[in-house]
Amino acid sequence: MSPRRAPIGGRIDRSRQIRFTFDGRRFMGHPGDTLASALLANGVKVVGRSFKYHRPRGIFSAGIEEPNALVTVLKDGVREPNIPATAIELFDGLVVESQNRFPSLAFDLGAVSGLAGPLLSAGFYYKTFMGPAVGPLRGTRFWRFCEWFIRRAAGLGKAGYDPDPSRYERMNAFCDVLVVGSGPAGLMAARTAAEAGKRVLLCEQEPALGGSARWSGETIGTRFASDWVTETVAELAEYGDIRILPRTTVWGYYDGNTLAALERVADHKAYAAVGEPRHRHWTIRAGSVVLATGALERPLVFPGNDRPGIMMAGAAERYAVEYGVLPGDRVALFTNNDTAYRAALGLERAGADIVSIVDTRSDISDAARDLARQAGAELISGHAVVATRGLNAIRQISVQPFDATTGKLTGAPRTLDVDSLCVSGGWSPTIHLASQAGAAPRWDARLQAFLPPEPLQKWIGAGAFNGAFTTREAIAGGIAAGAAAAGVATPQEPPPQVESADLDVHPAPVFEIPAAGKAFVDLQHDVTADDIRLAHREGFVSVEHMKRYTTLGMATDQGRTSNVAGLAIMAAARGLSIPQVGTTRFRAPFSPVSLGALAAERHGELKPDRLTPLHDWHLAQGARMYAAGLWQRPMIYPLPGETVEQAYVREARAVRARVGIIDVSTLGKIAVQGPDAAEFLDRVYTNTFSSLPVNRARYGLMLREEGIAFDDGTTWRLGERDFLMTTTTANAGRVMQHLEYYLDTVWPDLRVRVTSVTDQWAGAAVAGPHARQVLERCIQGAALDHASLPPLGIVRGEVAGAPVVVCRLSFSGELAYEVYCGAGHGQFVWEELMAAGEPFGILPYGLEALGTLRIEKGHVTGAEIDGRTGPRDLYLDWMLSKKKPFIGSAMMDRDGLIAKDRLKLVGIVSLDNRPLSGGAHIVEKADPENPRGSIGHVTAACFSPALGKYIALALVQGGRKRHGTRAYISDPVRDRYGPVEIVSHHFVDPEGSRMNG
Amino acid sequence: MVEQVSPLGAAYRLGRHGRAEGTPGITLTETRPGSIVQIGAWPGREGSVVAAASAVLGVPLANLPRAGAVSGHRAIFGIGPGLWLASDQVEDLASRLLEAIGAEDGTVTDLSHGRIALRIAGPSAEWVLSKFFAIDFSLSAFPVEAGRATAHHDIFVHIQRTGEDAFDLYVFRSFARSFWIALCHASEETGYEVR
Repeated sequence: MSPRRAPIGGRIDRSRQIRFTFDGRRFMGHPGDTLASALLANGVKVVGRSFKYHRPRGIFSAGIEEPNALVTVLKDGVREPNIPATAIELFDGLVVESQNRFPSLAFDLGAVSGLAGPLLSAGFYYKTFMGPAVGPLRGTRFWRFCEWFIRRAAGLGKAGYDPDPSRYERMNAFCDVLVVGSGPAGLMAARTAAEAGKRVLLCEQEPALGGSARWSGETIGTRFASDWVTETVAELAEYGDIRILPRTTVWGYYDGNTLAALERVADHKAYAAVGEPRHRHWTIRAGSVVLATGALERPLVFPGNDRPGIMMAGAAERYAVEYGVLPGDRVALFTNNDTAYRAALGLERAGADIVSIVDTRSDISDAARDLARQAGAELISGHAVVATRGLNAIRQISVQPFDATTGKLTGAPRTLDVDSLCVSGGWSPTIHLASQAGAAPRWDARLQAFLPPEPLQKWIGAGAFNGAFTTREAIAGGIAAGAAAAGVATPQEPPPQVESADLDVHPAPVFEIPAAGKAFVDLQHDVTADDIRLAHREGFVSVEHMKRYTTLGMATDQGRTSNVAGLAIMAAARGLSIPQVGTTRFRAPFSPVSLGALAAERHGELKPDRLTPLHDWHLAQGARMYAAGLWQRPMIYPLPGETVEQAYVREARAVRARVGIIDVSTLGKIAVQGPDAAEFLDRVYTNTFSSLPVNRARYGLMLREEGIAFDDGTTWRLGERDFLMTTTTANAGRVMQHLEYYLDTVWPDLRVRVTSVTDQWAGAAVAGPHARQVLERCIQGAALDHASLPPLGIVRGEVAGAPVVVCRLSFSGELAYEVYCGAGHGQFVWEELMAAGEPFGILPYGLEALGTLRIEKGHVTGAEIDGRTGPRDLYLDWMLSKKKPFIGSAMMDRDGLIAKDRLKLVGIVSLDNRPLSGGAHIVEKADPENPRGSIGHVTAACFSPALGKYIALALVQGGRKRHGTRAYISDPVRDRYGPVEIVSHHFVDPEGSRMNG
Repeated sequence: MVEQVSPLGAAYRLGRHGRAEGTPGITLTETRPGSIVQIGAWPGREGSVVAAASAVLGVPLANLPRAGAVSGHRAIFGIGPGLWLASDQVEDLASRLLEAIGAEDGTVTDLSHGRIALRIAGPSAEWVLSKFFAIDFSLSAFPVEAGRATAHHDIFVHIQRTGEDAFDLYVFRSFARSFWIALCHASEETGYEVR
């Protein structure tokens, strides 16, 4: 018989049916089912093929620890592989595929590798594919040759290539008490802390709260445990300051009691609601934490222990009680502890025939014997399962007398016909978060389990997490932990009474049954007990090395069902005890986390754009925009059919011939205010600002401490104690940090305030022979003639009621003014300037034309101030004050910075009338095959409309000593080699008569 | 006087958006104060600056870190050591503060064009803001009138709690549209209304 749905029972909604598709086949399930419970209810036994040997595998557990039943979910056109079927909530229309099978689950060609099993033992790849020392396949080449075939045969599911349309989100949470886990311990801890008036956050990774109380069949406070859960959760919700998060896995425990959690908001729905994310990443900052994460059952290692139909006993109990699903009709249980007896009774009540309970122990508690009787099971004590049989599902087991103390088999085996075998090898507390929080776990010999370490952070454990495996202990422990976390005394009122069988929670120290055959320790990675012994024989005695060599405990399940058994087998091989062999510490994440949730709004959306006040105007004019850092800036304003070069040449020509206007709002602007502002500027700039009169501007240069050029720009003195510093667009943030650093740490005695006012001002540069006439037509209340507004002079006026500040300064080399106004008036003033310039043919120009004009003029920017050049390399010696020290003055003339072979600023003219490119090298020889070494490189290049030639700025050894000499451009990346002439970097109007006239 | 143009442009769409059922969890508004001004005090002069600013604004500001005060359209709150942000519906706040705060006491920086003010109000305000900022928005940790200086990715934001479920956010103007779009996006889940 196959697994099936019992006629009654379970907490599923039997009144409704929902459809789902598995490997193209349509099935029905009920709301409340997991994919695993629904597959079992439909009699599906084989759900996947194993990693290495392609052995058929069935559903093994009922939770996130599932090693076998990994599937690929197909949703919204996206493939999400490696999801445990046990953690997928069924919804109408769910579509999933099985993995690692070819051509189909039932018939898998890869299964032949199972026949070659011994070949695929631990370290197989390392040993086999390390090629010979010589020859065509030497070293790793042989591996590369074989890799494609191996990757096809081995592995998990395959991800898709399509972008994920889902929405992800991040959330920050603060609470006094975080409770992780909502079993009886977690519920009581949350209630006690909430009762004490604390802000509580309760996270449960499963959809429903209650943990084991949902299926234990016990009685808590005169009610069925499951009803007690419902009532307690309803009571909790009454407290004002509690947030309950189901489907939320706390996966990381970081310093300062900061925890990370993943909430699966919409995975269980066919469609997310409007605005609803699929996953939400929570960063939780908790005053204290209650860890009530329970325990995970572990299997026993025996030959044939991976056959479909073999399942954890606790999982079988859950399927029977929670979902009304039976893993089989004729069920045997195999255990080394009492908890499987409760599972047997649960299965029997749901309608299964319990054939027998095989117990490795000879001495069984009365309570367990009583449960076996109630379940109608034959109790075979002092025995072990030594073999299983069946093709794609279990149909028979062999049991043999076994001495749990010596670990030896005796006597002869007998066979039992079963269609399901439920296994329990004891319980391992889920101590992952405590381990992440700092310390090594400790081994408890009585419980045969690792218990949590002493806390290094502010957390308190409760319930099965602490090794307190009974519900009675969990409730008492939860109350105590909740009170301790809340900082109050444990409440006096008696805890709710628990009625349950008095089971012995201490398992026999049995992990492996020493019989012949393939006995799996790690089902997900197909690691057998023999693999571990092989690793030991080959010298991998450290548990960390053993893990890497055998891959035990890796991949999605992180060895939740295999780590302890693997350790025990290694310990036995070395003749040591388990704690002597050690344990691996746990790292985050506890269970897989979607990368989308970690990226959240960074995904696709929020790399913010910085927009100038004129942004919409630029777009309306058809500007092609360009990202300059976060800023969006116009590159060109192209006419239909124009190339970039045609557009910028036209724009630059208009500036030289008539007048142009450019948006310079992006320039960094920093208000430098205070009684010591002038003194401060004298220290940070290489030149002097204390002597600058009010309403005048000065070009300034900053160095870094080690004498390298840092940034340049003009600073305007708006008042005696009030300066407006401008920086390059790209460097604004760095300059601000630089200034704040010196004020906060080096010169805290200076009374200077620096404030970013970049966004306060819209700026328009009006440049060209007609610039003054344009301004005169629209600016009122300010004299703009040469005497009133000389170069670097500042005046204030109005444009149709909008206040403006005008500074005469030029980046293009033309007569030019920068007109600044409040950013909110930016578009208004700009449009007034455009209207005033119309009679002169004013043209807006973009970054390309700006770059062209500045190259022609020989002004430096970030391309030349590149973090390697000193001021003398750029011929800015004239800006270095000799009368005062400044940042960088002590270091700027050290040997390295004044060496003869420094790269210095020059101009370059293309002699073959072909374009030059930034980054191209300058060489001395005409022969491309023998160019000699590089003597420098191009920093910026353009076609110069003023010269009618392709020109560039470059940094070249010797600098101006090479003026008038021939060199060659070598640009192998762009396949360009050609003659150039090295000239002065002042291509246009070196005397400055145009801008100063 | 020329009117300021909002940097939000066409992204500012009045009306209901996002989840359509029920009452919206969020109301979003660009409050457009006439003045936004940063006030700084030199070390040791905080007391006199606080007193002067309180007098000009007509609100009682305590000289405590992150303290704030709100009265009608006038508001002030701490954004750093010796640093406050003040706003008022009228446009001359900076000049009035300049008269009241001498150069020996501190600085006054007019940011009326450089920052914009957004109000997020409603029962889901704390929830939506928690998506952006690692700040405890609960009433006990972040009382009414108090202020915070923080950042979301690359965007600096100054926040004042103006009511139990209302917050005013001051954002750099050039980032405003990006931030606004993100704020609307994050509010879709709860439903929001732009007023």
